[in-house]
Amino acid sequence: MTAAIETEGLTRGFKSGLAVDGLTMRLEPGQVLALLGPNGAGKTTTVRLLDGVLLPHAGRSLVLGHDPATEGDAVRRRTGVLTENAGLDDRLTSRENLLYVARLRGFDKAAAARRVDELLERFGMIDRADDLTGGFSTGQRKRVALARALLHDPELLFLDEPTSGLDPAGTRDVIALIDELAAEGRTVVLATHFLGEAGRLADRMAVLHRGRLRAFGAPDELAAQMWTSVGAEIDLGGVADATTAAALALVPGVRSAEAHGDGVRLVLDDREVLPRVVAVAVSRGLPVFGAATRRPTLEDVYFAIERRIAEEEGELGTDGFVDRTDDPGHTPMPRPDAGAEGWVS
Amino acid sequence: MTTTSPSSTRGARARADWNAIATIVGRDMRAVRRSKAIVLPMVFVPTVLLVLMPIGIGIIARNAPTSQVQSALGSSLLSGLAGPILDLPERERLVVLILGYLLSPLLLVIPLMVSAVLAADAFAGEKERRTLEVVLHLPISDRDLFVAKVLTAFLPAVALTWVGSLIYGLVCNLIAWPVTGRLFLPFTQFAVMVLWIAPAVALLALGLLVIVSSRAKTTQEANQLGGAVILPLIFVAAAQTSALMLLPTPGVLAVGALIWVVALVLVWVNGRRFTRDRLAASG
Repeated sequence: MTAAIETEGLTRGFKSGLAVDGLTMRLEPGQVLALLGPNGAGKTTTVRLLDGVLLPHAGRSLVLGHDPATEGDAVRRRTGVLTENAGLDDRLTSRENLLYVARLRGFDKAAAARRVDELLERFGMIDRADDLTGGFSTGQRKRVALARALLHDPELLFLDEPTSGLDPAGTRDVIALIDELAAEGRTVVLATHFLGEAGRLADRMAVLHRGRLRAFGAPDELAAQMWTSVGAEIDLGGVADATTAAALALVPGVRSAEAHGDGVRLVLDDREVLPRVVAVAVSRGLPVFGAATRRPTLEDVYFAIERRIAEEEGELGTDGFVDRTDDPGHTPMPRPDAGAEGWVS
Repeated sequence: MTTTSPSSTRGARARADWNAIATIVGRDMRAVRRSKAIVLPMVFVPTVLLVLMPIGIGIIARNAPTSQVQSALGSSLLSGLAGPILDLPERERLVVLILGYLLSPLLLVIPLMVSAVLAADAFAGEKERRTLEVVLHLPISDRDLFVAKVLTAFLPAVALTWVGSLIYGLVCNLIAWPVTGRLFLPFTQFAVMVLWIAPAVALLALGLLVIVSSRAKTTQEANQLGGAVILPLIFVAAAQTSALMLLPTPGVLAVGALIWVVALVLVWVNGRRFTRDRLAASG
């Protein structure tokens, strides 16, 4: 089967240095790829290279069977792009913004008008069709821009920071929409640094750091390669004392246990250890309100990769961690095991 | 897979997609019409140059003594060129000289200015409004995009110049009527300047400015860079065209042809150098 995206050694530099450096990856049709990395990692440049807007300085790529560097129009006819900024002309109405793109995508006047109205309806913007987009909120602009990206029913969607600037309700709506698009079988490349949305949608993740691909694969596979241990929490309904944590740490298969919040946080050899830990807790007369293993999220995987990059590049903080999680209740996964596979060096 | 060189991107020269070009031109013109920052200078400057100045200066010239025109134009340097003026009745000479020969070349400021304003908006304006990225992701060839952007500035520049010329001719004939009692505009050289030289001047400005606009990040930057290119042209145009109007018609046509050749070469060269890769990389 022809890959939706296949790159080999894709490289692009600017005066300031290499923005994408030797990118090699393959994405199958219908997959959702989360292209992750901090600002300046090369996500937008990668999208531009894959859509034939920028030319590679080395390497090459095939997108839907076409080389974007030599067949850019053929690629762009089959791809839809949501740029980070909605890119609407404020001097035009939402209908005019969409009609313009529809006509450039080959619709005749009548078909363009029908399709534009259909999409404005779908995105709940039909009532604002004849309003200048200059007065729109960020969420409304995103919705019109998403409608524009879908005008020609593209097989492959590049979504660059689709939820940036959106309020929680807007974010939820956009994520639901992307989920819907993926369910329709479209290939989606989601360039973002919002890990929550990526985690909910992606079945592949690529982590870019300073233009280099540092990890690529399914989040679960990457997690399995990074951690041989399993995180777990037991809810004891109150702060556990050090003695309790120490007792639970003695259970065979428990690598570590520490009091945390309303219970104990554990690192286990595998999930089969958890019932034994619960049994010990109950035998000690402790009230067990809940116990659950915690599967690593895409966010965990991402930060573990970032941590490893930082370790490699000597950028670690004084505590040895680069923890960028803003959520104070976030439960960190165990540190990844050394020498995990799935690592692109 | 093998390495791709940027030079391979052009590939075979496909036919121009005139539907796509017309769509971009139509959209850009609609957007420009709604932009006060662009429309105001395009209305204000021509109004001053083509209406207010000829009215004020024309009324003064109409009522001024004309006895010294003969001696001024009768010098050995100008006598050969000034025949058309000296052949007129004495009372018409000053007003025709000023409105028909000295002031009318200011018409050429219009295509220069309009081209400059619209060319700055063509790419730098799109970058500033963050709409360019969307255009670059559309299936339109680099060449068609360049042609569309050139036409977006060229067509209004020429149209405005021609409409302005009609208004200028009307105003001048009305002002001069008490003295001339006839329509003295357009005469042949004036018509050649409007119909032949003005479009060439507009294209010349565009040949220089579209590339400036594509490299600049903001309209302001494009205007500043463009000003450095356009202002000298304006001075040259203002200084030289008065004499141009006194040349015989074949001479005026030849000068126009020369400007067309330079303009077309500039546009062609810049069109060859224009790629979305450069445009995206400069943003």
